[in-house]
Amino acid sequence: MIGNFRQQASGWLVNVAIAMTALRTNLMRSILTTLGVMIGVFAVTLAVAVGSGAQVSVMQSINALGSNMALIFPQPDTGEGGRRSFDRGRLTMRDARAIQKQISGIDDIAPQLRSNIQLIVAGRNASTNAVGTTPGYGKVSNLVAENGRFISEADVRSAARVVVLGPTVARKLFGDFDPVGETIRINRAPFTVIGITESKGSSFGNDNDDIALMPISTMRQRFSGDSLAGPDDLQLLFVGFQNGISLPEAKREMTKLLRERYRVRGKDINPFTIRTTEEFMKESAQVTGIFQIVLVAIASISLLVGGIGIMNIMLVSVTERTREIGLRMALGAKRSDIRNQFLVEAAVLCVIGGAMGLILAIAGGTALTVYADFPVPIGVGVGVGAIIFSAFIGLLFGGYPAVRASRLSPIEALRTE
Amino acid sequence: MALVETQDLVKKYELGGETVRAVDGVSLSIERGEYVAIMGASGSGKSTFMNMIGCLDIPTSGIVRIDGIATSDRDSDALAELRNQKIGFVFQQFNLLARTTALDNVAVPLIYAGLGTEARREKAKAKLEEMGLGDRLDHSPAKLSGGQQQRVAIARALVTDPVILLADEPTGALDSKTSEDIMQIFESLNAQGITIIVVTHEAEIADHAKRRIEFRDGKVIEDVAVNNSQKVSS
Ligand SMILES: Nc1ncnc2c1ncn2[C@@H]1O[C@H](COP(=O)(O)OP(=O)(O)O)[C@@H](O)[C@H]1O
Ligand SMILES: [Mg+2]
Repeated sequence: MIGNFRQQASGWLVNVAIAMTALRTNLMRSILTTLGVMIGVFAVTLAVAVGSGAQVSVMQSINALGSNMALIFPQPDTGEGGRRSFDRGRLTMRDARAIQKQISGIDDIAPQLRSNIQLIVAGRNASTNAVGTTPGYGKVSNLVAENGRFISEADVRSAARVVVLGPTVARKLFGDFDPVGETIRINRAPFTVIGITESKGSSFGNDNDDIALMPISTMRQRFSGDSLAGPDDLQLLFVGFQNGISLPEAKREMTKLLRERYRVRGKDINPFTIRTTEEFMKESAQVTGIFQIVLVAIASISLLVGGIGIMNIMLVSVTERTREIGLRMALGAKRSDIRNQFLVEAAVLCVIGGAMGLILAIAGGTALTVYADFPVPIGVGVGVGAIIFSAFIGLLFGGYPAVRASRLSPIEALRTE
Repeated sequence: MALVETQDLVKKYELGGETVRAVDGVSLSIERGEYVAIMGASGSGKSTFMNMIGCLDIPTSGIVRIDGIATSDRDSDALAELRNQKIGFVFQQFNLLARTTALDNVAVPLIYAGLGTEARREKAKAKLEEMGLGDRLDHSPAKLSGGQQQRVAIARALVTDPVILLADEPTGALDSKTSEDIMQIFESLNAQGITIIVVTHEAEIADHAKRRIEFRDGKVIEDVAVNNSQKVSS
């Protein structure tokens, strides 16, 4: 058994040695052929990595929102079609309280107003997206104060001029200095910094840390008082659910409740839209899945071209070496020996090309991660897969020339000049 | 039992609507240990006949038996094994692999015999030394003379210890002095018991053999024992 295995292994090694000699003999041609496979493997590997990077990015940004929640905003939900019985979208603080009271399984809610603000301290300034909200925001969005504290109920009741900064904003205004307790000016009014949030990284090149939070009441009074129709209106409401709660079911209940509150009947359009994180995940998984398939399909064309190059060069090689094939047959080579010799030659070409393509793809992926802030993970699995796949390409496109070589008649091959 | 036996062996080629009977009904048998010269004008069918008994070519009709077994009963793998184990080929143009050392050239049949690297090297080296090329192991064919190349080819033909050596015009590309050296080698191989069949159109080469078969138009027209003492006296 072992002896037999060693013989076979040494047989394959001989084929690799024969292949290397043959490839060296036509060095320039071998290199050019290899380039085709290199480009193909580079393109496919990078496409796979970019695709899964996109998937990771999307999931990360959805998880950054909070894993089990619904987003409600005052925008007519045109999805269903039907009659419009109102002039604009609706969502109020009273709706939020009704939802919290009447829907079961709610963890917490975070009503929100959003506005762009200017922050100034000691000559430095920053502009950021401010969220006016309630203590519930921390819980729903998995956002905790790493330093200092979060907004409290008392802050909301008294419309206190306090602000919680995201790490990016804090760094812009204070550098490495701890800003908790410091006073800054927001659109002229003095505010006290009460906390710094934990970093949430970035998703899709979007910095989740470039944020400032303040009590919703303060925001309403100072920054978005007249952009809203009613004094009780909200721009956004997060509803966080406990684990194990069915989001589609919760969405149905909330829709029913809000429709009753706004007296929407039959097929009429709702003046609000409810989306859940589950829906986001499903949709983006679908989109990124299609994105990845399209990407890989396009990249595969270059690999196909590389493979055709392999087949072409192997056919030339077989034709050039017909006499050698005849000689080997005369000396005792079986058809399978000849076939394997050329298969190994094609596979060696492809694996060398594949390895170079993989190195290029790792370089390209790293560059994208570093410079475009877009994660392109090329793991061990993708690497090993790329090499195995290259060998497979070699066997696939080298197969026809190899079989053709093995079918030659010994005497006709020997007689070839 | 004859080592090589043919019965009504025929090989036809269709060329532009015309049928060429390259070998036309040859029946003969060659025993173990014989030294046969096959002679005849160019185009008389000598090579075609050799290729069929060497299992490189397939007869149109008739039978070839090697060691009593008809070649038509064997598949291509069995024929490859037969060529590998029992038959050694020597060609007019040497047919060595370029850019490959003498040692590696001689070792090629042993790859297909399934030997490991070390065993291949040892056997090939021993055969080259027998051929007086012990100091040329790492030379590529381009660095060897015609006679040396043909001796490498003979070492390769013998490396699997075959029972038959088939040589088609082995001295056709060599000068007469070198040809004589090659004939000396053949004679000593035959003395060791190897059956030799050599195709030639040179009488001096044929005179080394013990039996002479003459071909004309694909047919055997003469098949005689060669009296070596006669050769010496003439
Ligand atoms: N592959 C072939 N196709 C067609 N005719 C062939 C082929 N091989 C040999 N012949 C013909 O068969 C005859 C015998 O050829 P060959 O056996 O080579 O003769 P020799 O070796 O005695 O010179 C010649 O007429 C030759 O032209
Ligand atoms: Mg001939």
